[in-house]
Amino acid sequence: MSTASEPVASGCAAAEPQAGAVKLTMILAGAVFVLMMVFGLIMRAAQGQWIELDPALFYQILTAHGAGMVGTAALSGAAILWYFSGRHVVLTAGIFWAFLGLFLLGVVLILGAIFIGGFGGAWTFLFPLPALSGGAWEAGAAAAFMLGYVSIGVGFLLYYLELGRQTHERYGSLARALGWNLILGREDNNPPPPTIVAAAAVTIFNSIGIILGAAVLVASLVHLLVPGFEVDALLAKNLIYFFGHVFINASIYMAVTAVYEILPEYTGRPWKSNRLFAIAWNAVLVFVMAVYWHHLLQDVVMPPWMLVVGQLVSYFSGIPLIAVTAFSTFLYVRGSKMTWDLASSLLVLSVAGWSVGSIPASIDGMISVNKVMHNTMWVPGHFHTYLLLGEVAMAFGFMAWLVRGKTISEMGGLDRAAFAAYLAGAAGFVTVFLFSGAASIPRRWAVHYEEWLTHDRIGTAFSVLVVLGTLVFVLRFVARLGRSES
Amino acid sequence: MQPVVLLISLILMAALSAVCVLAVRASRGPAPGPGANAKRTGLIWAMTILGVIVSVASLREWPHALAATGDALEVNVSGGQWWWDIDTTEIPAGKPVTFNVTTEDVTHGMGIYDDDLTLLTQIQAIPGYTTQITYTFEEPGSYQILCMEFCGLAHHDMVNEFEVVAVEE
Ligand code: HEM
Ligand SMILES: [Cu+2]
Ligand SMILES: [Cu+2]
Repeated sequence: MSTASEPVASGCAAAEPQAGAVKLTMILAGAVFVLMMVFGLIMRAAQGQWIELDPALFYQILTAHGAGMVGTAALSGAAILWYFSGRHVVLTAGIFWAFLGLFLLGVVLILGAIFIGGFGGAWTFLFPLPALSGGAWEAGAAAAFMLGYVSIGVGFLLYYLELGRQTHERYGSLARALGWNLILGREDNNPPPPTIVAAAAVTIFNSIGIILGAAVLVASLVHLLVPGFEVDALLAKNLIYFFGHVFINASIYMAVTAVYEILPEYTGRPWKSNRLFAIAWNAVLVFVMAVYWHHLLQDVVMPPWMLVVGQLVSYFSGIPLIAVTAFSTFLYVRGSKMTWDLASSLLVLSVAGWSVGSIPASIDGMISVNKVMHNTMWVPGHFHTYLLLGEVAMAFGFMAWLVRGKTISEMGGLDRAAFAAYLAGAAGFVTVFLFSGAASIPRRWAVHYEEWLTHDRIGTAFSVLVVLGTLVFVLRFVARLGRSES
Repeated sequence: MQPVVLLISLILMAALSAVCVLAVRASRGPAPGPGANAKRTGLIWAMTILGVIVSVASLREWPHALAATGDALEVNVSGGQWWWDIDTTEIPAGKPVTFNVTTEDVTHGMGIYDDDLTLLTQIQAIPGYTTQITYTFEEPGSYQILCMEFCGLAHHDMVNEFEVVAVEE
């Protein structure tokens, strides 16, 4: 297909406000994704007994991988949302720099806590494990880890304060930015574009998530420092999973704005807010916060209605995702005569990966299934699907788009190979996890039994492909940035 | 249970992936007609109805229901970093057993595995709480308890065993 028939990008990337800060953030995110994937590969190879790893070090790497990946997913999502929100509202550059600075300070504290202090309490810091390490780390290391989270959390709160404030200013109220006029059938001559609806929803739920996360962090810190200060373990667990669930989901809901804003350049059909779109996002706003109980389905002392809500919302969250986001994406693609370059391919893949990953997640959200799947490899199986093939694919698609230039042309040989390696590697890697879950292999075990090694080794082989594909995506991004900048 | 769950998941995942592949292929074809929105409405209804049926069917009997006291044998299990203590080492087959599970330090997860390393059921052990679960062992043999919640350095070593024995009526 001829390149000339493609709609050309409206306003090239460099003309966007704060493109420099966003590009720098994406370089950092890309580099950390690679490093953390290598950590993942090391864990997988250690479980398969291809390499030897002291369990203490395994759990430190597990902690770094979990916190590092979740943090980087959120960082890349935040950069994407900031970039595209800048098309609709005016955002203060200084806030983004403060956010990035606090984020990096948090990273330093977390890495120090893990690799100098020996902290290996997992990214979920489940109370009271940070204080009861059984001799593996000191209270100081746990405190540094949690202070790192606090620093990142404060940065995010600043970010959302600015985003929420400017959205409010431009659209009059967050309710209008959430598309309530569309939902109520009221006239609105300037309805919020999809990115703004996303920005408003994420600002609300992730701010609540981070504030509750901060509450349990502070309680855990006080518990570390003041002997005798007790916290109810079940309450702490509720707060931690509320925060953790909301925070990781927010990263995808921020990054999906890349799909809303970039795909229309390829399909020639603008992604517009309509009534169904607004209803879906308002449902998401409620669902994301009500669904976290699916992490506590085996905590039988929880009030049963909460577990029932956890199961129901796990299932019904699939409807806005599959019937609205995925369905619309496929509809935009059909008959679009679009060109498949690296950016458009990764972005369409990301919507597919995200929705496909929601299937094993909602099945595990059934209490009866959860009894035999909870904390088995089934869980990393489903969340790696919507992270690796969802959020991370969105981030890499956005990066490919940033350095694309004005003309759109089909993928070259190297891009094609990298895309194929990434897709095949990730699909194989997550499928092995699902098989392992069905084979009852527990998650977060540093040492595996003989019976499980075949799973681990096949998984390791697939992860090598993922790392190779990722290396190409990231190096290509940096190389082209250098070229376009000079 | 697990093979069925795996099979259903893989089929649904493959089906959704196929829809995506077809859409990508159709990017070269004609644009979707006006019927697309009706299809979407149909999909939303289908997913809603399926959801209601599955939810009712799977929750009508409460999955965490306990056997009435008196009918069940009570077994106390306590956990700590990094051990399991079981107060009964021989459990009769065919009779409901209610496990009372506690922890002395951090959160653990009591997962009961059979001889083939298949997970039969599990429950969390939460500091300050006693959690309960009922399970009926059909087959005599040796069973294992594995820790299902990350609890630190020797989480993977937190394993113990018990026997299920046949009882003559
Ligand atoms: C080459 C790519 C990757 C490999 C090889 C990999 C490998 C692993 C392994 C082996 C585990 C531990 C499994 C267990 O519980 O035994 C794990 C956990 C995890 N991974 Fe990955 N991973 C990869 C990519 C990602 C990405 C892209 C993300 C998110 C953006 C991610 C997020 C996580 C999280 C949150 C955990 C849970 C940590 C915990 O249990 O505390 N991973 N990964
Ligand atoms: Cu344990
Ligand atoms: Cu454990």
